[in-house]
Formats: sequence, C-alpha cells, structure tokens
Amino acid sequence: MSGEIPFRNPGWAGNTGEFDLTEDQVRGRDYAGARPLEGGHPAGAAGYPYMLAEKHPEAPLFEGPYKERFEKLKSRYPDLRAALLPTLNLAQEVRGYISPETMDEVAALLDLSPAYVRGVVTFYTMYNKRPVGRYLVQVCTNISCNLCGAEDVLNAFLRYTDTELGETSADGNFTVIEAECLAGCGFPTCVQINSEYYENLTAQDVPDLLEALKARAGGAGAAAGAEAQTEAEED
Amino acid sequence: MAYPYAHEKEVRVLSKHFGEPEARTVEGWKARGGYEALKKALEMSPDEVIEIVKNSGLRGRGGAGFPTGLKWSFMPKDSGKPHYLLCNADESEPGTFKDREILRWTPHQLIEGCLIAAYAIRAQHVYIYCRGEFFEASAVLARAIEEAYEAGLCGEDILGSGTRIDVSIHLGAGAYICGEETGLMNSLEGRRGQPRVKPPFPAAVGAFGMPTTINNVETLSAVGHIVKHGADWYRQWGTEKSPGTKLFCVSGHVRKPGNYELPLGFPLRELIEDVCGGMRDGRALKAVIPGGSSVPILSAEECEACTLDYEGVIEAGSMLGCASVIVMDETTDIVHQVRRMAQFYAHESCGQCTPCREGSAWVTKILQRIEEGRGCEEDLDTLMEVTEQMTGTTICVLSDSVAAPVQSSIRKFRDEYLALIRRGERVGAA
Ligand SMILES: Cc1cc2nc3c(=O)[nH]c(=O)nc-3n(C[C@H](O)[C@H](O)[C@H](O)COP(=O)(O)O)c2cc1C
Ligand code: SF4
Ligand code: FES
Repeated sequence: MSGEIPFRNPGWAGNTGEFDLTEDQVRGRDYAGARPLEGGHPAGAAGYPYMLAEKHPEAPLFEGPYKERFEKLKSRYPDLRAALLPTLNLAQEVRGYISPETMDEVAALLDLSPAYVRGVVTFYTMYNKRPVGRYLVQVCTNISCNLCGAEDVLNAFLRYTDTELGETSADGNFTVIEAECLAGCGFPTCVQINSEYYENLTAQDVPDLLEALKARAGGAGAAAGAEAQTEAEED
Repeated sequence: MAYPYAHEKEVRVLSKHFGEPEARTVEGWKARGGYEALKKALEMSPDEVIEIVKNSGLRGRGGAGFPTGLKWSFMPKDSGKPHYLLCNADESEPGTFKDREILRWTPHQLIEGCLIAAYAIRAQHVYIYCRGEFFEASAVLARAIEEAYEAGLCGEDILGSGTRIDVSIHLGAGAYICGEETGLMNSLEGRRGQPRVKPPFPAAVGAFGMPTTINNVETLSAVGHIVKHGADWYRQWGTEKSPGTKLFCVSGHVRKPGNYELPLGFPLRELIEDVCGGMRDGRALKAVIPGGSSVPILSAEECEACTLDYEGVIEAGSMLGCASVIVMDETTDIVHQVRRMAQFYAHESCGQCTPCREGSAWVTKILQRIEEGRGCEEDLDTLMEVTEQMTGTTICVLSDSVAAPVQSSIRKFRDEYLALIRRGERVGAA
C-alpha cells in the first residue's frame, strides 16, 4: 500500500519504541482479517467500520452483500426497532452521511416513522448529518489528551488541511472535528481517522500523517483500496 | 514479548496476555487455560456460580463498585421470561481506557466471562454494547465470537450441556450517556439513549422489558478466573471490602502512562512515583483525579496517604470510579481543565432533566467567562450554588458528575480562580 503511516505503537503503552509487533498485529487486523462485506456470522455482523474513505451518497439501501448484512442484523433482536442503530450505521457506511432522505428510507425499512428516526439520528454524534471528506479526523481534546497538548494537535490538523472545524478541505480529503474522550487517554493525543485510531500523536507528526493519507487516497484503486479492513486485501 | 511498561509490582490476572496476538484466537486462548472455567461452571448449578462470585467479593468495575454476585442474585429464578445479559463496553468516561485493551487483546476472556454470567443469571442472549468508535476492537471481538460459535462455545447446546446462549455485538453511535445502564438499554432497543427512571430496576424490567443484568467488561472478564480458581484465590489480593486486582488507567503528566493491573488498596503515591516512573520532566505533583472525570479532584497533599481501594479513596475525599487516574503537574491550568470537563458534560447531557441540561450549560459559560478574565468573585458562589442544585436532583448521576470537579476545584484551588478573576493571571501560560 502506498503511503507509509508514521507508525508509533498506536494503541498501547506509549511510544517506547521497544516492542516488536507489526501495525497489523497491534490493530488486530492480522486476526480479524479482511472481513467479508456480508458480515460473516450474524452475531458479529455489526463489528465493522462504518466510516469508509469512499462513499456513494446515492447508493441503494441495501443491495448485494449489504442486503445480506442488513438481514443478519435484523435477525439478532427480539424486535425490529432494535435494529435501528446498526441499520443507520450500515447506511452511513455506504453513503457517508445520514441525509433526511436516508432517514426516511431507513424508517420505511424498519417500519418506523420518519420523525422517530430523525429523533434518534440527532441524538447520536457519530451520525454525520452532512457529507464529510474522505477522511474524518476526530481529535480528542478531553482532559487527558488536553493535559498533553491536544489543542496543539487539533490546531496543526486545521492548519495543514487549511480548514475550519467541521469544514471539508478543498480537495475533498479531510474534515477535522473535535472529539470527546476516545478511550485512548494513556496514549495522548488520541486521534480517530475514519475507523482507525492513531495514538501518541504530536503536532509535529501531523504533516507526514496527512501526506501519507493523501497518498493512500490518491493511490491505485483508491475506490477500494483505502480501508484495508473491509476491502481489497483478500486476494 | 513484554508489555513495554510492565512493572514488577503488577499482579497480572486480566492483563496477563495483553500484547500476545496469539491469545486472540480460540486455540491460543485454550492453550492459555481458557474455557476451562466455562466447562466448570456448566457442571455447577447457576446458583452455585452466583455463590462463588458472591464469596469472591468482586465489585463492579464500571464505576459504582456494586457487588457483582449480589447484583446477579436479584435476577428472578423462574420468571418464564427471556433474560438478558448486557455487557457494558461503552467506555467513555474521560481518563478510562482499560476495556478497549481487554476487547482487542483478550476477546475470549470477555466472551468466556459473558457466557458464565449468562448461565448464572439464566440469560439466553448476551449483547455486548461497544461504543461506536471501537471499530478495531469490535472487529477483533466479532472474529472471536465467530470462532466461539464454530467451536461450539456459543449458540445452541454449548459444550454439549444443553444450555443455549447467544452472543451479539451491538455498536453505539457516540453518546457518553449510553454508558449509563438504562440509557444503554434504550440505545440497544433503538431509541435515544436517555436514562430511565428507576425503579423498576433492570433485574425486574430491563432490556426489551425483560429481566436484565448489566456488567462492565472488566467485571465480566474477572469472572472466568474466579470460577476457575475459587473465591479464596481471588481474595488473596486487595482488601477485605475491595478484594482482587484492578486495571488502573494512568494518564496525564507521568513518565509512563498506561494500564497497570494492581491489587486494590495499592498506594496512590507509589503508583505515580514507582510504577509510572514518576512525574514527567521531574515536575511537582499538583492534583490527581483518581477515578475518571466524574469524581472530585484530590490535591497533592490528599494524595499522600490515599490508597486505591473503594473505601480508601472515599476517605481521601474522592471516589475510585473506574480507577482512571489522571495526574496533573504544577504547570496545569486547573480552571481551563475544569472548564473542559464541564463542557464535556454539557455536550453529553441527554437533556431530560432541567438541572442537568441548564446547569451544565450555565456552569460551562461561567467557567469560560472566568477563564477569559471576565469573571467576578461572586461567580464562584454562583457556581457552588448551581452545582449544589444539580446534585441528587436528576434521573441519573451525570448531573452530579458536573458538580464533582467544579466544587472540588473551587474548594481546593480557589487561589487559581481568584488570580484569574483579579488579575487575569493564568497558570502555565507562556
Ligand atoms: C453517566 C454515566 C456513564 C457511565 N458510563 C459507563 C461506561 O462507559 N462503562 C461502564 O461500564 N459503566 C458506565 N457507567 C456505569 C453503569 O451505569 C453501570 O453501573 C455499570 O455498567 C454496571 O456494571 P458493573 O456492576 O460491572 O460495574 C456509567 C454510569 C453513568 C451514570
Ligand atoms: S441527569 Fe442529565 S444525563 Fe442524566 S437523565 Fe437527567 S438530563 Fe439526562
Ligand atoms: S482524554 Fe483523549 S482519549 Fe481519553
């Protein structure tokens, strides 16, 4: 894959540089593998990223493997309403954000009223109410990260992407937002970019990381290649 | 392969296999003695399992420290209804980062604990509610659950015992309040994650209106070890009232932040000075939040004699919560950090209760004003009064969580507020 990410022990124990696991081992990718789009076993069918680099705002809800996954999600609950969050997650995975039209379609799929679905969508911060860039960069500025310079990291992301908070960069690559604690407090600053965590980030790391992500996005087969967890790598 | 920041004083029960990729697989977990406890539990009666957990003295690791065995015993014995076990993997309390490590390094440890707990409370279905941000962790967990099904450890007739237990992952979508047990139930049911008025308690009317028990990831992960080795074995660590080991999430200005598994009752000073390698850059300690951002701040003096068990931290003037130890050195701008915490709660308030919704927003605004040097001394009284009215008056304790940092910081660091108000002087400003 093009675009080497500056890998600094993401995910555990700080940047001691002493340990000998690969990035895939730390992230668990070597074990979880390239998970099939149709979700594998129904019990685990929710265990997916639902923020992908390439999204299609007009994509159907749902077809092919996504349809299978939708059916599996529904099968796990005693009533249909409980499938609402996973279904919205799936819709966001395909379309990148939850538009009012998407809410209506999801409501129809689950036999709920559109107003009810709107009420639920607006309650949860992870549902993008507007389109976002290829990479949604969420910088934690909560207390533990804040104590260790998170605000500098956030500002560096804004400076190098030349955006304001929540705005998408001119090339469509980046939307930077502030996040609440991501549960990586021992490894500050903790940043989530689409479905991956980057930890121990400093303001100095930001330009390289952004370049690497851009290279990924622009690399061969950008449409499928970006998110290793779901796509591409099985061959 | 060692955990880079391991320390010899640690007692590694839950964290023993962190950092070993092979421990993630079902085979790897079995090779490390996994799933023996499940087998043992299935040979006992559900009540015998509850008895062992009761005797071990295990207390909930999600924040409140409620005795786990006792909680299980509230479940009806023959209600004729479906029962549910919910595993709380919403981990969103600022400063807490232990459950994610359990999910991603030892998913089978959690699955085994869930199965044993479900058997004990006679539940047929376990939902593991992961916060929506845990993509990587939930992908690992999903794979592990699949393997467990393939190996006959989940689903119909587990290990040929005739017992049926299904395990599913449910992902949230970003809302701190879904970590509160009844908020989590609403969120699981496809609703806004707003807490419910109690009673009725979950053991009577919980998820989908059925008897339900909810436990934290770390609590359930300890269950397998307790069933396997017995209650007395677990009691060899910790104190009489707080037995066992606990993952301490240390963050902030220490040299070696990270997760450390230590016996409960471990001295706070020793954790900072010895286990975490002391303060970063040799600076002086100013304050510690010992249990995540919802508990009162301790001043450096109060930390001196504090031991990290549920009772010890209360004695020192705070709460152990989920043992998320946030360490701050002398350069810390307390007002700024308290404002940031208040802002978090204002953002996360679900809005049902007026004191919480209005109070958290106003407290944040007043703190912001003080921070910008536009405050007055009466603001401090207003803050104390408003937060007083936010305590004990609402459906859940999120509202009280705003009061804890605000009140404790005004009491203990009043000078800093006054310096800002009188002269616009900030601590740590360059
Ligand atoms: C506002 C709020 C947020 C909470 N967040 C969490 C959480 O993220 N994870 C968790 O395990 N418990 C959380 N709790 C505690 C749960 O309500 C519940 O007590 C706990 O999951 C019970 O499990 P235990 O008995 O194993 O500790 C929260 C409580 C409140 C009031
Ligand atoms: S106290 Fe706050 S978060 Fe809790 S139920 Fe009331 S409004 Fe919601
Ligand atoms: S405070 Fe940043 S991840 Fe917890």
